[in-house]
Amino acid sequence: MLEERIKQELKDIVGPENFTEARIDMVSYAYDAMGAKGRPDCAVWVTSTDQVSAIMQLATREKIPVTPRAAGTGIAGMAVPTHGGIVMDVMRMNRILEINVEDRVCVVEPGVVYVDLQKALAPHGFTLPTEPGSSVASAIGGNVATNAGGLKGAKYGTTKDYVLGLVVVLPDGRVMKTGTRTMKTSSGYNLTQLFVGSEGTLGIITEITLKVVPLARRTATALGLFDSLEDAGRAVTRTMSSGVVPSVMEVMGRYLIQAINEGTDLQLPEVNTMLLVETEGYTRAEADAQMERVVEIFKDNGASDVKRAETEAERADLWAARKSTYPVTARLNNSILVEDVTVPMSKLAELFREFEKVVAQYDLKVAMCAHAGDGNFHPLITFDSRDPEMVERVEKANDALFRMAIAMGGTITGEHGIGTMKAKYMTMEHGEIAMDVMRTIKRALDPHNIMNPGKMDLNG
Amino acid sequence: MRQAYEFEKTYGELILRCSVCGFCQAVCPIYGLTRRPALNARGKMLLLQEVMRGEMGLDQDLVETLFQCTGCASCEVNCPSGVKVTEILREVRREMVNTGTCHPVFTGMNEILAGSNNIYGETDPPEYLEGRKVNEKAAYVYFAGCVGAYREEEHTEVTLKLLDRMGVDYTLIDEVCCTGVLEDVGYAVHGSKAETLVERVRATGAETLITGCPYCMRTFTSRNAYIGLSEAGVRVVHISQFLSTMTFDVQTDLVVTYHDPCDLGRHAGIYEEPRRTIGRIAPRFVEMEHHHAQSLCCGAGGGVRASHPAHSIGMARRRLEEAEAVGADVVLTDCNSCVHNLSNAKLRRQKLRITTVPAFILSLLEGEERA
Repeated sequence: MLEERIKQELKDIVGPENFTEARIDMVSYAYDAMGAKGRPDCAVWVTSTDQVSAIMQLATREKIPVTPRAAGTGIAGMAVPTHGGIVMDVMRMNRILEINVEDRVCVVEPGVVYVDLQKALAPHGFTLPTEPGSSVASAIGGNVATNAGGLKGAKYGTTKDYVLGLVVVLPDGRVMKTGTRTMKTSSGYNLTQLFVGSEGTLGIITEITLKVVPLARRTATALGLFDSLEDAGRAVTRTMSSGVVPSVMEVMGRYLIQAINEGTDLQLPEVNTMLLVETEGYTRAEADAQMERVVEIFKDNGASDVKRAETEAERADLWAARKSTYPVTARLNNSILVEDVTVPMSKLAELFREFEKVVAQYDLKVAMCAHAGDGNFHPLITFDSRDPEMVERVEKANDALFRMAIAMGGTITGEHGIGTMKAKYMTMEHGEIAMDVMRTIKRALDPHNIMNPGKMDLNG
Repeated sequence: MRQAYEFEKTYGELILRCSVCGFCQAVCPIYGLTRRPALNARGKMLLLQEVMRGEMGLDQDLVETLFQCTGCASCEVNCPSGVKVTEILREVRREMVNTGTCHPVFTGMNEILAGSNNIYGETDPPEYLEGRKVNEKAAYVYFAGCVGAYREEEHTEVTLKLLDRMGVDYTLIDEVCCTGVLEDVGYAVHGSKAETLVERVRATGAETLITGCPYCMRTFTSRNAYIGLSEAGVRVVHISQFLSTMTFDVQTDLVVTYHDPCDLGRHAGIYEEPRRTIGRIAPRFVEMEHHHAQSLCCGAGGGVRASHPAHSIGMARRRLEEAEAVGADVVLTDCNSCVHNLSNAKLRRQKLRITTVPAFILSLLEGEERA
C-alpha cells in the first residue's frame, strides 16, 4: 500500500485525471495478454518525458517498484507488476513526432500503435517492416522493449534492426539520449541496443527513432503442399540457401489446417504440411523470377503441389488462411499458449518432429505453425485452464520444447521476450557468466531494483 | 463453496474463452478515447473472470466499466476468440440490476419509461403529426422512435416530407417507446408498451413498418415482445432499406461520406443499401478510414450519451476528424441518434454538414444544395 503523501505527489506530477487506484484499473493492469498476474498499488498515465523523470525520482527516493506498460499485448509477463507498486502506462504518449523519408527515419513516442505508424508511413511509400502478429494493437514502445518480431523476419529482421536511437528515463530519473538518427555509427557502447529487449528492467523509453524502409512495390505469393514435414523443412532450408530471400515463409501443420477448415470456409487441401511463401520486387518480373525459383525448389523437394496466387483475391485467400491461425485455434479450448522458440533454420524440421513426439506423449492438441524463414517455431497449445492435470501436461511439454531448442543451438524466445514466464530458463540458455554480466548491468543502473523487478531472472 | 452468479451458467465458458490478447483495444471507441484498459472488452472480461473466481462480487465498483459501453460490437467483430461481448454485458447488467446495482442514469431511464411513452418524459406530441395521417389505415406505418420524435424532430419532419413527395401511402401512430434499450442496460422490455405498440401498428392494416431508428428496427425484429408484428404479417424495414429501391433524379457535386450506425451495420448487417442510395445521388462519395464492419462508433449508443456525456462527445469528435480527413463536405448517416451526437460534437470551425440520407435527398430535390 502506498502512503497518501506519495499518491498525492504522483497526482501532482501527472494531474489527478492521470492517476488511478480504482479496483477496476488495478485488475486490468494485473495482467498482460497471457494472463500472468500481479496487482499494482496504483497506475499513472504519463504524457511527457518530464513526468516520467519526476516519477522515477520519486520512486527511487521511496524505493517503489515501477512497471512500465504500453498496450499490454505481450505474452511473457513483462508488463505484469509482480512486485506491486506503480504501473506506468505510456499509451497516452502516442504522438508520431516526425517522419523524414529523406533521412529514412521516423521519431515516435512509445504509445504509438504499430498499425497507426504504418498508416502514417504508407503515403510516403515507407514502412517499418517488422509486422508483429499483434500489430493491430501493440505499441512501438512495447515492440522495442521486447524486441518484437513477426512474419517478415527472414528478410527484414526484428525491431532491433530498426532502432537507431532512444530517449530513456533511467531508474534514478535522469534522462538519457542514446544512438543517432544516422544510418550508421561506430561511436561508443551501443546503449540503444542495450535497451532494446530489456523489457523495462533498465529504464523507461519515452522516444524512439526508427529506421524505415521502402514499401515493397510488387509481391508474388504461393502455397506449397507437402506430404511430410521433413520434405517441407528441407524445402525451407534449400530455399533459404538458394540466394532468394522470401519476405514470408510460413509453415502450417496438419492439425492447424484441419482447424482452419473447421473454423472457416477456406477449404484448404488437408495435407500434412503447407508452406506459404511470398517474394518481393521493385517490379512484377523481379518478384515472379524469385518465386519461380522457390517453386522449383519446392517441387524438387517433394511438394505434391504448389498453388500460385494469380489474382489479388487469391492472394487474399492465402493470407486469410494464415491469419486465421490464431482465431481458429483460440476457439478450440478456453486457453491457448503460444511459444516462440527459435532454432537454426536447418534444425526446424527436426524440432517439429521431436516436438510432435512430445505432443503425443502428453496427449495435447497443438497447432503447429512457424516463421520458417528465420527458424521461429510457434506451436499453439490449446488446453483447459481449469484442469490442473492438463495444465501440468502443458507445462511439461513446454519445458521439453525449451530444452530441445537450447540443445539445438537455439533460443527460448525469438520475438516474445522472457518476462516472468521464461525467466527460469535464462541461465540454461545464456550460462552463468552471461547472467552475471546482465545482473551487473542491472545493478549498476538500478541499484534498488525498482525498475520492473521480477523479470528475466535478473535479481539473482 | 461460492454461490455462482446466474450469468456464469450461460456465459461462463465464453468469458473464459477471452484469451486477453488485447485486439479489442485497437477498435474499442472508449479505449481509443480514454486509453484506459479497464474500459475495453478485455478489461471487462478480466473483471468478470475475477468475479467467477470469487475474488470480487458484482458490486458498485464495476458499474464504471460494465455500464460504460456503447454496445457498438467492434470488439466482437474483431475478437479472435469469438467472445460475444454485448450479449455477455446485457446478461451481467441484468443480474446487477436485479441485485440492486446499476448506473443511476439507467435506473432513471427505467423509471421515466414507467410513467411516460418516451425516454425523455416529454408530454407534448411531436409537431410533425399535424396535418398527417395518424392511426389511420395505410400500406405503411412510419415509426420515428424517441430520438426522431423528440430530439431530431426536424430530421423526421423532412423524412416525412420526402415520403409525402414520393406519394407513399403511410400513416403515423401515437408512438410508445419500443423500450429495447432497457434490455441493454439491465432492465426488460416493457411488455405493456410492446402490446400497445403492436396493437396500434396492426390497427392500421399496414403490411410494412418503416422505422427511422435502427435500434427500434432491431427491437421489433429480435425481441419476443414484438412477435405480434410478424404474426400479423407486418414486415419491418429500416428507412434506408426502403429508400434503396427508389430512384431520385438528383445529384450533388459535394463530397459525401457515410457513417455506418452500429445498430444498422454491425448489428443488422445493413451496409450496402444506404450506399446504393447515396451512390446514385453523390458521385463524389468517399469512405472514411473506418467503414462497414470496421466503422467507428459515434459514441451515442448503450446509454453512454446520458451516462458519460463527455466520453460520448469525445468519441463523436474522433469520428468527425475522420470525415474531415477525407475532405467530406457532408456526413450522411441513417440513424437519428448518430446525427444527434455527431451534430452536438461538431466544432464551430468544422464546416461539415451532418444529416440523414432522406433529409439530404429532400434538400437536393428542393434545390437547397448544388445539384
